Amino acid sequence: MLGYIARRLAQAAVIVAIVASITFVLIHLAPGDPFSAVIDNPNVSEQVRQTLRAQYGLDRPLPEQFVRYVGALARGELGWSFSHDRPVSEVLGTALPNTLLLMAVALVASFGVGILIALVQVARRGSFVDHFLSGVTLLFYSMPDFWLAILTLLSLTYWIPIFPVGGAVDPVMHDYMSLGGRILDRLWHLALPALTLTLLASAAVARYQRAALLDVLPADYIRTARLKGLTEREILRRHALRNALLPIITLIGLSFPALLTGAFFIERIFAWPGMGYAVINAISTRDYPLVVGGVIIGSIMVTLGSLLADLLYAWADPRLRSH
Amino acid sequence: MPGPIPDSAVTSPARPRESPLGRSVRAILRKRSSRVALVVLGVIVLVGLTAPLLAPYDPAAQPDIVGLKNQPPSLAHPFGTDPYSRDVLSRVIYGARLSLMIGVLATIVSLTIGVGYGAISGYLGGMVDSIMMRLLDALLSIPRLLLLLGVLVAWPHLSIGALVLFLGLTGWFGLSRIVRGQVLALKHAEFVTAAQALGASRRRILVRHLLPNLVSPIAVAATLGVAHVIVLEAGLSFLGIGVPQPLASWGNIIQDGADQVARLWWMSLFPGLLMVLTVMTLNILGEALRDVYERHS
Repeated sequence: MLGYIARRLAQAAVIVAIVASITFVLIHLAPGDPFSAVIDNPNVSEQVRQTLRAQYGLDRPLPEQFVRYVGALARGELGWSFSHDRPVSEVLGTALPNTLLLMAVALVASFGVGILIALVQVARRGSFVDHFLSGVTLLFYSMPDFWLAILTLLSLTYWIPIFPVGGAVDPVMHDYMSLGGRILDRLWHLALPALTLTLLASAAVARYQRAALLDVLPADYIRTARLKGLTEREILRRHALRNALLPIITLIGLSFPALLTGAFFIERIFAWPGMGYAVINAISTRDYPLVVGGVIIGSIMVTLGSLLADLLYAWADPRLRSH
Repeated sequence: MPGPIPDSAVTSPARPRESPLGRSVRAILRKRSSRVALVVLGVIVLVGLTAPLLAPYDPAAQPDIVGLKNQPPSLAHPFGTDPYSRDVLSRVIYGARLSLMIGVLATIVSLTIGVGYGAISGYLGGMVDSIMMRLLDALLSIPRLLLLLGVLVAWPHLSIGALVLFLGLTGWFGLSRIVRGQVLALKHAEFVTAAQALGASRRRILVRHLLPNLVSPIAVAATLGVAHVIVLEAGLSFLGIGVPQPLASWGNIIQDGADQVARLWWMSLFPGLLMVLTVMTLNILGEALRDVYERHS
């Protein structure tokens, strides 16, 4: 088990190193400098331009720049964000908790909802309810993240004004609230983005889990349970679900990229001050270091997510635990 | 006592084996949901192909930017007009053309690279294989949207061709892993050994003997891949770094109304509905294909 963890950690480190190299190649394949938005401004004189290039080390040979780049990354430095006039690591550092909160809430909620839907479907497999729910999950599964976010925004803030339009807190009143009021205010603002992400993610979980449950139903131990006279409900809950839960752990790892991508669009539409909001705003200001920083942090999150899922799997599966 | 001859002892008469392609087509026609999906998708593709005939207006024309802008749906403009007074229905029709075309072309790029990479990795094996797979692991752990953001921000004002290329270049990772697995599994099959014994070159074995066995997973990846690219392109266009304006793609139309979502609801609703319908049909077809493939492997 320890050897497995060590091997998996080394693998994750290699992956992050390759990701860093890919982003470096991306930066240097691009026309002009990564900082052209600032440096190629016609109002900047040639002399200042040279000084800036030298300051950022852009006049050095590429291999040296690469070593510097990797070294800086290893120290957690992601460069300078021009639009925020702060280090990228600081900008993303303040935004990251909001994104993680959104993703965590959606992750937990969508696995709960998704597994529940799958159980209902499998308990009544082949019935109208099963087909209907399959249609609904397919519909949400096929929806582009940003479009569903627009729909929930339209319907639940404009047409039926239940939720606030955007942001993480009330822009005026938040500072005057009591502690309880502030927490409520935050939850109130979190509700709609989290609901949207949950709708998107639970469709995928339900479809996956329904297939996983149907996979174990023909197994011998299910037949044995049925012969013992257990009710269909007990069979599903105590025998089928427990065995179909292992693939769910894999799905947690697999769902990280989708959750992150969904969070990016949702943050943009609900002005939720997370990483996606910062990175997408950086597109229009051509704040390249911030975008690349987002790519790196996002990739590290995905790598860690799948690492975590693999370790969890090894721990949860008694057949693997003993090794 | 001579019993009846067991079935296994009788060699069944040589029956022409059904080709993977024929099997896939029949699987789609067998299920009602996929038949419906096929018809709906066919209609959408037809709309895209005949866009110039169907569209009531020129999708780029701005007849009266003051008097005709932001009109809600009416008889003259069933999907309303946008902030530049363009007819949204015409733009949605032309958007079908562009979004489908981008989806198909980018997927062709992905399939070519994915199959090539996976087949080479699986067939060569050993050191080359493990290096190629580690690289693939890394590529797979960069979320595709983020990778595209990084690329598209570096190259602003991309042409459609370049956009298609980048969408294709970022979409082959999953498929190549499946192809590699299949090639790895089939590499030591008897028909491959036989071909080797007959002196077939590596190339010939890959192309003539292994590739035909990959038709099913490729068909699945192609169908789901087009759906994925359509959603991605729409997302990127929505962020303003996808299809360049004033061309109409479904994402672009939604982007045009994004500043005033509440007031211009028709601009996100109609193109979005058509997009969801397209993606849904592609997902239904892709899953029908996958069911056949999984049952047979």
